[in-house]
Amino acid sequence: MFLTRSEYDRGVNTFSPEGRLFQVEYAIEAIKLGSTAVGVKTYEGVVLGVEKRVQSPLLESSSIEKIMEIDRHLGCAMSGLTADARTIVDHARTTSQNHEFTYNENIKVESVTQAVCDLALRFGESVHDEDAMMSRPFGVALLIAGIDENGPQLFHTDPSGTFMRYEAKAIGSGSEAAQAELQDRWKKDMSLNDAQVLAVRILKQVMEEKLDQHNVQLAQVTKAGGFEILNEAALQEVIQRM
Amino acid sequence: MDGKTAPQMRHFNPYSDNGGTILAIAGQDFAVIAGDTRQTVGYEIQTRYAPKVFRLNDKAVLAVNGFAADGNMFVKKVKQKLEMYRHAHAKDMPLRAIARLIQTMLYAQRFFPYYVYNILGGIEEDGSGAVYSFDPVGSYERESCRAAGAAQSLVQPFLDNQIYFKNQQPIPGGPPHPVHLPLSRVIALVTDSFTSATERHIEVGDELEMFIVLSRSHPQQSLDPRLNATEVSTTASGEKVFVIRRPLKRD
Amino acid sequence: MNSLVSKFSTNNIPKQDVEDNEEYSDSMWASSAGYATNGLPTFRLPSLQQPTDFLRLHTDDHADPSCRIKIKHGTTTLAFRFKGGVIVAVDSRATAGSYIASGTVEKVIRINKFLLGTMAGGAADCQYWETYLGIMCRLHELRNRERISVAAASKYLSNLVYSYKGMGLSMGTMICGWDKTGPAIFYVDSDGTRLKGDLFSVGSGSTFAYGVLDQGYHWDLSDEDAQELGRRSIYAAGHRDAFSGNTINLFHIKQDGWDFIGNYDVSKMHYDGPGNIPGAPGTGYGYEVRTNPEACVVAD
Repeated sequence: MFLTRSEYDRGVNTFSPEGRLFQVEYAIEAIKLGSTAVGVKTYEGVVLGVEKRVQSPLLESSSIEKIMEIDRHLGCAMSGLTADARTIVDHARTTSQNHEFTYNENIKVESVTQAVCDLALRFGESVHDEDAMMSRPFGVALLIAGIDENGPQLFHTDPSGTFMRYEAKAIGSGSEAAQAELQDRWKKDMSLNDAQVLAVRILKQVMEEKLDQHNVQLAQVTKAGGFEILNEAALQEVIQRM
Repeated sequence: MDGKTAPQMRHFNPYSDNGGTILAIAGQDFAVIAGDTRQTVGYEIQTRYAPKVFRLNDKAVLAVNGFAADGNMFVKKVKQKLEMYRHAHAKDMPLRAIARLIQTMLYAQRFFPYYVYNILGGIEEDGSGAVYSFDPVGSYERESCRAAGAAQSLVQPFLDNQIYFKNQQPIPGGPPHPVHLPLSRVIALVTDSFTSATERHIEVGDELEMFIVLSRSHPQQSLDPRLNATEVSTTASGEKVFVIRRPLKRD
Repeated sequence: MNSLVSKFSTNNIPKQDVEDNEEYSDSMWASSAGYATNGLPTFRLPSLQQPTDFLRLHTDDHADPSCRIKIKHGTTTLAFRFKGGVIVAVDSRATAGSYIASGTVEKVIRINKFLLGTMAGGAADCQYWETYLGIMCRLHELRNRERISVAAASKYLSNLVYSYKGMGLSMGTMICGWDKTGPAIFYVDSDGTRLKGDLFSVGSGSTFAYGVLDQGYHWDLSDEDAQELGRRSIYAAGHRDAFSGNTINLFHIKQDGWDFIGNYDVSKMHYDGPGNIPGAPGTGYGYEVRTNPEACVVAD
């Protein structure tokens, strides 16, 4: 893949002669090492599912946080260097609250995604007198789920600051297999319940460990309930339905 | 010690009062926002046509009264922010968002206030007519009607009586007071408010400029031709905005 | 990590900048329509030696009734804690000089489902900063996965207004709510005072409200009697203070959040009372007492 590796992969703000930014490309590679996360959009809402890698029986699985609330109508799932995601999520939360403060309305899903991507490019040298916040690109990809006046939406962002809207999307180490599966199984008229089962089923297929309620996490964003992480009982119920 | 070396400023007064009056009334599915066009300073009439009411988009109209220079600058900045918002969020800013934006913009000048009284009128996202009134540093509330400016204390009591039916008893056994008045009645009240204010206030007069915003749910999507209204809305599918100009006494 | 800490750790009185008053930020403009995303605008100051004198010259209608910019004032607000939670009651009049600028002001600011703030002093100061407090409380909730305590929320506000001390802010507010410790009230004002207490009244009519409140207050009040006490106290202020009146707004905070109890016309309270509500006397608060002493119901 990196046959053209050269001196040009040292700086974050230098293009290679072929027009590539290697550090950004490597950051995108970092996500492929991360745990798998899937997002499925339905007409009722959006479902997010993540695998938790419980590397040791002594690890408290409830302390692994890979799905986070951005606001009542917005949530996100992450894969890659999840520590980086904390900065991003805090920025998304602040942006959402500032929007609420300035406009007395919920921010649109696309706008909050755009805000996250604005942040993604703030590495390297500074712009004007503003601080360059980071020395390297983020090493994390997000699935941002939310509901606004345009209905349920699912966005994918990566370290290059690119974002795209999806009906269903998988990221992380199992993403290739998972995305192929989503392509086969996703239907436009899917119910939220179907989407929950689909998300868990796909996670089960790509996970190395045997799936149970401790090593996956499911969340959803609906018009009525807003963002909610499914508790263990609800998760177990979904697993049984599968 | 030597007071002569350092210049000392005793008094800094960057404000003046340019008179005039503005007024807005919300109906169930429409809003009327009006103002006179006279601009004065002291007892002198500077111009007989200085607009105080501005269309912001197809569902919002802003009336600005107080110091004209501050008012014009403020409207310019609101329009800029509306345009920026449109680019960032791919939609027109809803009315209640504009109301909150105006609060934050006024409050940003908390320690060097704009000498302006704003009244925002238009249609909410749910299709209802709305009026928001502001003080110079941004406190605001949604109301059914509001007058501001030189003749505020002449017009507002009239409106309280005619719109809110304050101190009016409904006829025993008769129908209760209506909650919302029809558009024709509101237009008549606005016109009367301004002709009467012109009679009794020296800073009011010359011309009445009245904007009417019709919700998509309003049964008529056009105005009575006798009103001689000009349509100024930009899209065929959205809310309709009209402007009516009437002469007021010029003495 | 927590940007709030840095925000409140220093006295960040805004620096004078006249030329560069636009808060546009190039690198973040796409999502925030050009706003700097730290939430607070940079406040613009007149380029004078004493910006505060300038503000006082033009906006202080107590010192100079003919001053140009009349900021809305005048109020009676009260809140008290009792075994059934917190009662918050306010009037709805706003005055600009001697003109009644509005009789329908919402002086209880709904910070969130569990927190209420009251408005006395500058209407804009209270509205703006308590709305700002609302988003800060929400961020606290998102970051710490639990609701903010009333003590912490009131301290945010107190630290915030203290950083603008001497600049001319005017607010006297009660932050009321229910948290892990139960019902709580904190009085916060623009001088920097922050007091925890069971019973407060703030505003030009507060002395009148205290008169009624103090003689009727008891920790073991029933919910109905407590609501009636709140209503009756604001009525007293509306009746005797020219800067207070129009209507009463009554709220009750319980364990599961606040409830709006009702809006009552002060004049109607005088002649007819609140009607057939538990806790109410069934007659007018004022008229009956003056015209028919036998009908007077004395609270025991």
